[in-house]
Formats: sequence, structure tokens, C-alpha cells
Amino acid sequence: MATKLAANAHVRYFKHCLNMLPGELASQDASRMTIAQLCLVGLAALGRLEDSIPAAQRAGMVEWIYAQQVPADGRGAEFGGFRGGSLFGPHDACEYAPANSGNVAATYSALCALLLLGDDLSRVDRGAAVAAIRRLQQQSGTFAPHPGTTERDPRFIYCACAVSAILDDWRGVDVDAATRFIVSCCSFDGGMTQAPFQESHGGHLYCCVASLSLMGRLDALPDRQRALRWALLRHGGGFQGRVNKIPDVCYSFWVGAAIEILGGYGLVDDAAAADFGLQCEADIGGMSKWPKHRPDPLHSALGIVGYSFCRPDGLPRMSPELLLPEHVVKRMEALPIRRR
Amino acid sequence: MRIEGSEDVEGAVPLSQQEEWADVTPLPQDDGENPVCPIAYTDEYRETMDYLRAVMARGEVSQRALALTTRAIETNPGHYTAWTYRKRLVEELAVDIGGELEWVSEISEMYPKNYQLWHHREALVERLLDPADALKMTEDERIAHPTIRRELQFLANAIDEESKNFHAWSYRQWLIAKYGLWGQELAFVDTMINQDVRNNSAWNQRYFVVLQGQDPATVTLDAGLVLREITYAVENIKSAPNNESPWSYVVGLLLRHAPAKLHTELMPRISALATAEDYHLAMTTTPFYWSALVDIYEQQAKEQPERRAELLGQARSACDSLAAEHDLIRGKYWRYRKTMLA
Repeated sequence: MATKLAANAHVRYFKHCLNMLPGELASQDASRMTIAQLCLVGLAALGRLEDSIPAAQRAGMVEWIYAQQVPADGRGAEFGGFRGGSLFGPHDACEYAPANSGNVAATYSALCALLLLGDDLSRVDRGAAVAAIRRLQQQSGTFAPHPGTTERDPRFIYCACAVSAILDDWRGVDVDAATRFIVSCCSFDGGMTQAPFQESHGGHLYCCVASLSLMGRLDALPDRQRALRWALLRHGGGFQGRVNKIPDVCYSFWVGAAIEILGGYGLVDDAAAADFGLQCEADIGGMSKWPKHRPDPLHSALGIVGYSFCRPDGLPRMSPELLLPEHVVKRMEALPIRRR
Repeated sequence: MRIEGSEDVEGAVPLSQQEEWADVTPLPQDDGENPVCPIAYTDEYRETMDYLRAVMARGEVSQRALALTTRAIETNPGHYTAWTYRKRLVEELAVDIGGELEWVSEISEMYPKNYQLWHHREALVERLLDPADALKMTEDERIAHPTIRRELQFLANAIDEESKNFHAWSYRQWLIAKYGLWGQELAFVDTMINQDVRNNSAWNQRYFVVLQGQDPATVTLDAGLVLREITYAVENIKSAPNNESPWSYVVGLLLRHAPAKLHTELMPRISALATAEDYHLAMTTTPFYWSALVDIYEQQAKEQPERRAELLGQARSACDSLAAEHDLIRGKYWRYRKTMLA
């Protein structure tokens, strides 16, 4: 049984994914930005991003990310932000406007990826990103991911809050309305949900709690102790995402980070949690959701970040709210774009 | 009814060789010089997307564009723009909604974790049966309506396939609330809990039905209803004491809606179980029993200030049992929780 992360294998795995993904991941083609972010998060959480990706390649990645930014000219600013990849086609005149609109999840992933790559965000159209977010917020306070859909979810509240926090511009978010919606997602069992009455879920707990924290509204949680307890009850070695489900390594981040934000990480059984992460390591590098399954970038990155919460092994400290190393957050806070 | 274009993409004649597409110049993907996380596309996928980009760029509204979105979504159901474009095509081409629903059902079998298809489904159902019209009927008439019957059957199958499918349960709540189908739902929930007493999605649905979707902050629950729920939960605790779902259901429900019943109704029943010969061992070794005691005593201490010290002492000793014996992995938590019971 390993007692330490197989860091070199994970580095190879993430580099491989950044260079080429297998054809069956075509179903993720619209989310390549997020996969890229996760690979970079994984490398950064290992403290290996700079040494494993040459500067020239990092610069090339920055170019690809900016190429997905929707230019503001000639269309409404509400379509601003970043797209999830290049499959949507060229930015110039497109009769079907939503084909060239930002997606708040992609905008969030793009900004994180740019920060991880050392970019100063100076080419980000901050006004357009913020205007798009404003358009996506619903009257109930929740968010749609992009124009033209009826999808709504705390995942997008979180992305909107993270973008606002990174750009230090909250004009796109009605904080009171978002807070009210999140509070309405508190379930009878202490957990948090996608919408009122739905089943408590570790991923939504993270999105809700991290959003409140980014908005400076954690105190609005009606019963923080019960939320913390619900989260800690998910811990049985690894973390499960819902009551009576088997543990899945990605929840070592979703639930682990929520516990950290709620101020309770000291209450986790670190050794048991770390051990589950190690059991999910794949021989080829990366982590799979359950032991002995196929790895994927999401479970690999989140599994490693979750592991870093419980057994630092000299790994960089990760911000639970932003999924960035704390030293990157610190550098971000000094960026000129935030002072405009 | 099959929708044109929904046959397996693999082995199909390339679009470039089809007469129907002769007038369209495919629009290749521009991934730049430094693609990040490029995908090893199959030729078919790449070609489908080349044509879809071309068709969207000119905003074409046609049957062949619809068939193209079928091809695109069947290989890439996360292509959210293909979905919104399809929604527009379905509306503008007056596509047969029944057939479209059948196709969405097929997609949900192929990709049970996809988000977009459920929203597409909602929009289709609302077009088939306007909720405002439906609410003018009686509930029995609504349940007998072919659209509602089909949706309930579809959901029963989807949940049968994967009993904790988050999307299916969430869609079910939408359907029940939108069309006022409260009367039949408790029976469904019962069936699901009987099939698997650990199905927490079903227990959650029970709370939704008991409140009938009303605001938990303002709703008042009938005392008889609350008692019925306590009985139901305790019966299920009896059949499997070490099951978090009924415990968190009954404690959560009472804490929110009838806190005094924690010690007047729940406590005597679980104490009786804990001392009954057949249940003693299973009850007193499950952490959920001890953790319920913590909540019950804490709540009772709030209501009976004259016994506060004694009751909090009981709550603290339940924490001790948890930390030392019954919930070792959360030992640190129970020791911390104990400090809050002073």
C-alpha cells in the first residue's frame, strides 16, 4: 500500500491529457476548457506545473484560452465571457447567436487556467464577462450557464461568484438574491441541494458554501453546525456525495473543501481520507472515482486536491474557495485588472 | 417513431457524399496552433460538427438541420448549443412532439448523467400539456391524461433502471409540482422505499410529498401527519437500524416542523426498541441511534430549562459513546460536538 502520492505518474497523466484526449471524450468536447483547467489544477496541486510544462507551451496554452473569449464587438455584451472550446465555430457573424456566446462555467475555468499559467488577465474583457453574468442571473437568484437554456443550478452561482471574485467586480451578481436562493437550498437533513426539496448532495453543498464564502455571506447559513455535520457524516474513509452512496474520490474535494470553508477540517480523520485517495490512484497515473477504475482528469485533479487537504506531503496549500494554490490567489490579488 | 438521422452514425454514408448536403460547405474547426486537450475525433464526429457549424452559421431552419443535431447530440450530448438550436428547430418546424420525446428517452438511456436532455424534455411536455390547462382538471383526470401517464411511466422506468438517478428524481419533482400530482406520489415513494430501504432519494422525495412543496419556513404540518411519519420512519428503522436515511428523515423533519415531538414521541419509541431483546444489539451499536439521542436531548434541554443540566449531560454522554465506540472515524467531531453541549 502506497503511503505517498505517485506524483510523477500523475504529472505524466495530466501532461498526456493536455496533449491529447481519447475519442470517447467527444462527449466532453464542449467542456474542454474545464478539462484543461482540471489538468492544470492537478499539476499545480502537486507543485509541478512550471517544471513539467515548458514556458513556450504554457504561452501557447494562454493563446488557445484567449482564442475562446467571445469578442464584444458587434453583439450584445450579454454574450461575453469564454466558450468551452473551439467546436462552436468561428466568432464572426453567426446567424445563430447562442452558438457564439460565453458560458459562465467556461469563463470560470478559463480565468483559473490563465492564472495557473501565470497570465495577468490583461486581455480579459472584464466588462463583457460581468455583463454576461448579470444577464444569466434569474429572478429567484440562481443562474443559467449561458443564454437560451432553462438549466439552472448552484454550479453556475458558484462560477458567477468565482469569476466576480477573481475579477474583483461584483456588478454582475445580485448578492442578496443569490444568498436567498442558496439559503432556500438548505435541506431538512442539514445538507444542501440543487434547488429547494431536492436531495442533499456534496457537489451542491460545495457550490453553495463556497459561493456564500466568496460573497462574504457565510453567516446567512441558517444552521452552519448542521451543514458541517451533514458533511462530516459523508466521511467513511473516502467521502460519499449523498447519503447511502459509496465513496467517490471527487468528494474528497467537494465535501472536504466545504468542511474546510465551514471551519471543520480539523475534525476529519486525515489518515483514513488520505488512504482512500491513494487507493484510487491508477497505475498509469491519475485517479479514478473508485479504486481500480479508469482515471479521468476530473477525479484525478479533485482527488489530488482533496488529498492535499488531509496530508500535505509538502504540497502547495490550495484555496478551498477557488481551486487555486494560495500563492496563485495571492498573485491574483495584486493584478492590475482588479484595480480598474 | 424514429427520427430521421438517428440511425447509428458509424458506418453511415459520409455527409459529403450525400446529395442532400451538396449545397453546404462544411465549416472546419479552427483549433489554432496550440490546441489544449484536443480530442482524437473520429472522422464521423468531425464531419458532423463541420456541417453543424456551417448550418448554425447560416441559421438554417430545416429538417436536415434537425437530423444533423440528432447526429451531433447522439455522439456529444454535452453540446449545449446543439440542444438549444434543436429546441428552436423543434418549435419552428412544428416537429411531432411525441416522436421527439421518444428520441429524448433514447438519449437518456444512452446518457443517464446528461443534464441538457431533461430540460429539453420539460419544454416538450409543457408544450404538449399546458400546466395552466391541466390544473383546471381534477387530479384523477390529470393522472389519466396520456402525457402525464407517459411521463410517470417513463420516470418509473428510469428510476427502476437507476434508483438514485439524481436527474430523474429532480425531473419527477418538477412534474409533480408543475401538474399537481401529489395524490399518487406517496404510493410511489412507498414502493421505492420498500424496494430499497436505503434509497435516500426516495426518503428525500417523501419529505417533498409530505410538505407538498410548500415553503418549509411557513408551512404547518398536521399533528396526525407528523405522527404517521414518525411511525413510518421507526418501522423502517426497525427493519434496518444501521441505515442513515430514516434516522435523518425523522430527526430532520421533527427538528424543523415539530421539535417537541422529538422527546415526546420519537424518544419513547426508539428507547423501546433499544431495550427490546430482538433489537437491542442492532440499535445500540448504530451511530445513528446515538446521534439521534444527542439531538433529542439537546432539543429537550431547550424546552425544559429546569432539567437542562441533566439533559445536556445525557447528550454529552451520547457523544462519548459515539467518540469512543460507535463512530470512531468521527471521534474528533463528537468530542467537538460535546463541547457545544454545555
